[in-house]
Amino acid sequence: MQKLFIGALAAIALAGCGPSEPQTKGAPPDMRRLTEEQYQNIIADVFGLPLEVRGRFDPMQRTDGLEIVGARNARITPSGFERFYNVARNIAERVVDAEHRDVLVPCAPVNVAAADDECARKFFSQTGRLLYRRPLTAPESDFFVKAAHDGATTRKDFYRGLGMSLASLLVTPQFLFVSDTTERDPKNVNAERLTAHAKASRLSFFMWNTTPDEALLTAADSGELNSNDGLKRQVERMASSPHMEGGVRAFFSDFLSLADFDTVEKDPIIYPSFTVDLADDAKEQMLRTITDHLLVRNQDYRELFTTRQTFMTRNLARVYRVPTERTDNAWTPYEFPAEQGRAGIQSQIALMALYAYPGRSSAVRRGRAVRELLLCQRVPDPPGDVDFSVFTDPNSPNKTARERLTAHRTAPACAGCHKITDPIGLTFENFDGAGQYRTTENGAAIDASGDLDGVKYDGAVGLAKALHDDPATASCAVNRMYSYALGRAASNDDKAFVAYLEESFASDRYRITSLIQRIALSDAMFAIAKPDGSQSAMNGGAAVASAAP
Amino acid sequence: MYSSVAPNLLIKRLNKRTWAAIAATAAMQLWSTTAITADTGAVHDRRMAFVVKDWYNAIYETKFIDECPEGMTIANDEIWWRGLPVKDRPAATGEGMIQALNRAGQAMARGPKGENVCLEPWVVQDPPNHNVEGKYSFGVNIDGTTDGKATAKTCAHENFTHPDGTSGIDNQMYRLVGCTFGWRKNFGTIDMNANEMRNTSGLGMILIDVSEIDDPRNDDDVTVTFYRGVDQWVQDSGGAPLPFQTYNIDMVDGKPRYGDSVKGKIKDGVLQTGTGDVRVPFYGNYNFLHPLIKDLSLRLEISENGEKATGLVAGYYDLEEFTYYVGGLGAAAPVNGVNCPTLVKAAHELADGYPDPKTGKCTALSSAFEILAYAAYVRLPEPKTQKTAQN
Repeated sequence: MQKLFIGALAAIALAGCGPSEPQTKGAPPDMRRLTEEQYQNIIADVFGLPLEVRGRFDPMQRTDGLEIVGARNARITPSGFERFYNVARNIAERVVDAEHRDVLVPCAPVNVAAADDECARKFFSQTGRLLYRRPLTAPESDFFVKAAHDGATTRKDFYRGLGMSLASLLVTPQFLFVSDTTERDPKNVNAERLTAHAKASRLSFFMWNTTPDEALLTAADSGELNSNDGLKRQVERMASSPHMEGGVRAFFSDFLSLADFDTVEKDPIIYPSFTVDLADDAKEQMLRTITDHLLVRNQDYRELFTTRQTFMTRNLARVYRVPTERTDNAWTPYEFPAEQGRAGIQSQIALMALYAYPGRSSAVRRGRAVRELLLCQRVPDPPGDVDFSVFTDPNSPNKTARERLTAHRTAPACAGCHKITDPIGLTFENFDGAGQYRTTENGAAIDASGDLDGVKYDGAVGLAKALHDDPATASCAVNRMYSYALGRAASNDDKAFVAYLEESFASDRYRITSLIQRIALSDAMFAIAKPDGSQSAMNGGAAVASAAP
Repeated sequence: MYSSVAPNLLIKRLNKRTWAAIAATAAMQLWSTTAITADTGAVHDRRMAFVVKDWYNAIYETKFIDECPEGMTIANDEIWWRGLPVKDRPAATGEGMIQALNRAGQAMARGPKGENVCLEPWVVQDPPNHNVEGKYSFGVNIDGTTDGKATAKTCAHENFTHPDGTSGIDNQMYRLVGCTFGWRKNFGTIDMNANEMRNTSGLGMILIDVSEIDDPRNDDDVTVTFYRGVDQWVQDSGGAPLPFQTYNIDMVDGKPRYGDSVKGKIKDGVLQTGTGDVRVPFYGNYNFLHPLIKDLSLRLEISENGEKATGLVAGYYDLEEFTYYVGGLGAAAPVNGVNCPTLVKAAHELADGYPDPKTGKCTALSSAFEILAYAAYVRLPEPKTQKTAQN
């Protein structure tokens, strides 16, 4: 995989002859709460794998198509703080317990039953730097050393004191929020710029979805990140790291709203094969397909919507109705046969099951998901007084979803939105509510023809090609990737840069690795506006979808 | 000639879990009634396969048990109890508070020298087995005769008539066990226990692989092969296997441990095989068996969506294998009214298939088993190594 990244970097270097990078003003400094996955990654990276984060945090509000953008507005409620604290205390206790302390605490106290400020300071100097993503200030260090001292004295146990202090560190805003700390820009005394450590955090959470590692922090400490060459060295290093997979998975989990999959449920009478294990596998299948296609094989992003290559487990094979090579539910590479009628990640079980009802499919939900998730187009919510009786009547003579929807959308209030969603969603009617292939519904043959903004096609395979060819598919990914990197929706000021990215994405043959690095190396990635600067939103890049002409 | 199982009687045999599974499947069928075609996924590489969930002796029962005019066969526990001095009986049974299961050890050790009569059934002379005396039975006419007279391959026996009127039904296994309540559908748990143990352990898994399929609804030449699966079941919340799971087969020295085949035909979704000698894997009631069923035939009615099948296996069941099973029933025997010496002796008397060339005594029991199977994929080794057992 490293070779692929080096190749991609070379491509970027060559692309330097292409269009020049438009400048952006950036957004005012902000702070974003760690996502639950980021929190877990940090704990795993800083303290090692044996530690697990147990407990759930307050959910983020998905904003402008991304959860990470919602992290800007995330607050910590009193009950949420309690959960943070419980998790922090659990982590701290495990860090200093007899099993882990020799590895995770860099020194031993002179007397285990008493405070040892020197050892505590050494611990917070090292561990605190990784958790705060910058060196602790002297007052911060003094505070945690004193807290450890007081705790050790009271409890007559150095490690308990150290653990109590560590727990308090893990609930500080400096840890729980990623802050855009700024400093005076030496090139422009009237302007501010991100500190090198803030840059390191932005890079690391974008590319790896975790805290900066020691090398990145060292580059920040030395100011290397403030130079173009230093930044390039670090981005190249990060791009060739196995952590990249975590970063790409995190982006696509957010982009495709896969967190919703954690709560998807199916009626066990209607879909007995849809078990909890299967749901986990379905989500993982999509992410494996994505990372394999985009990272391991470095393929065209648009082909993600036409590829038949994926990975299979015994559980999934049961619903796809194909034999598997392994019967221990291990993952094995798999290519859907052409007659399966599947192409692209959008036709896999995950999205088919997620955008369906517990007991039946949903052309509307699926059509809306394609519009909103894959094409970044906004579909208005249905009015509150919709009459669903035509659609839900069990005695209806309409056997297929197409017939029912046709009857339903005769109501003028419904017709507008259904013209946007249904031609796409009905394409997926060959997949039932659990994502299993079918050719009939209630004994009637399914018509899976459709059209995407005037491009007519037949079935999910036809839609796959239409999505591949639709310019909105690639531009949506660019827009979301940019928003994800910056943790905010693109503004009008970013328009030129986003257009430049879209152009570059095409010239880079739609390689997501190139897009990630182009963003990471751009000035826009770290641009900061004055706090009082007002920005007009670009609506998260979401154009309101219109009916097909 | 083959006879189908009367549906109303077959469904009575199903336990609650099976009913739940059927209800679930029926609901699915209401939602989607797809005929077996390639797009249902039932057929891959011209094969479709099934994993057997239920394997029940085909027992024909009447409401007032007219087929057993002498009642149920006297159980070991009762024979033991009657053999005790009257004054010792209350103490031996704890004034009736010690359950049959808990006194089974001493009840079985009633041989003249304290032998376990299930392991050494010939050491005692017990009252005779209560054989089924009714006219009707499920099953098939295996030997092709309607008079039950001895042939080169059979010993003289009495035939049954199928409830649908078909005569010449051979089912001496039913005659043997039909009046032992452990095998009866309403109270017996011997077959049910065996099914449960297979379904929860994955041991003795019976896989039926149908190959060389050109048309899954109508094909006049397919091959049906029996394997043993070695993977765990995946079941729904009601305990029914989830269909279309992939299973590996049991291999030894690079070849399938099982793998006997018979030829068959499919007509309107019903598979009917010819006959052949097939060794079938089995596990139940803590016994591993691998009975050779001679002249085995299979009739399998496959649901339209290909997800499950019900059917009947018929053939001559190896006598020694059966008596070994009876001897090893263990805890299942005392709670199911089994008396090993009676059954073993009667089994030898009733055996009607494959006479021993030296003794002339038959070595197998004509039998019939109702099965419920779910669609599966059988993962075969490469290259394929099968043997065909055709008579």
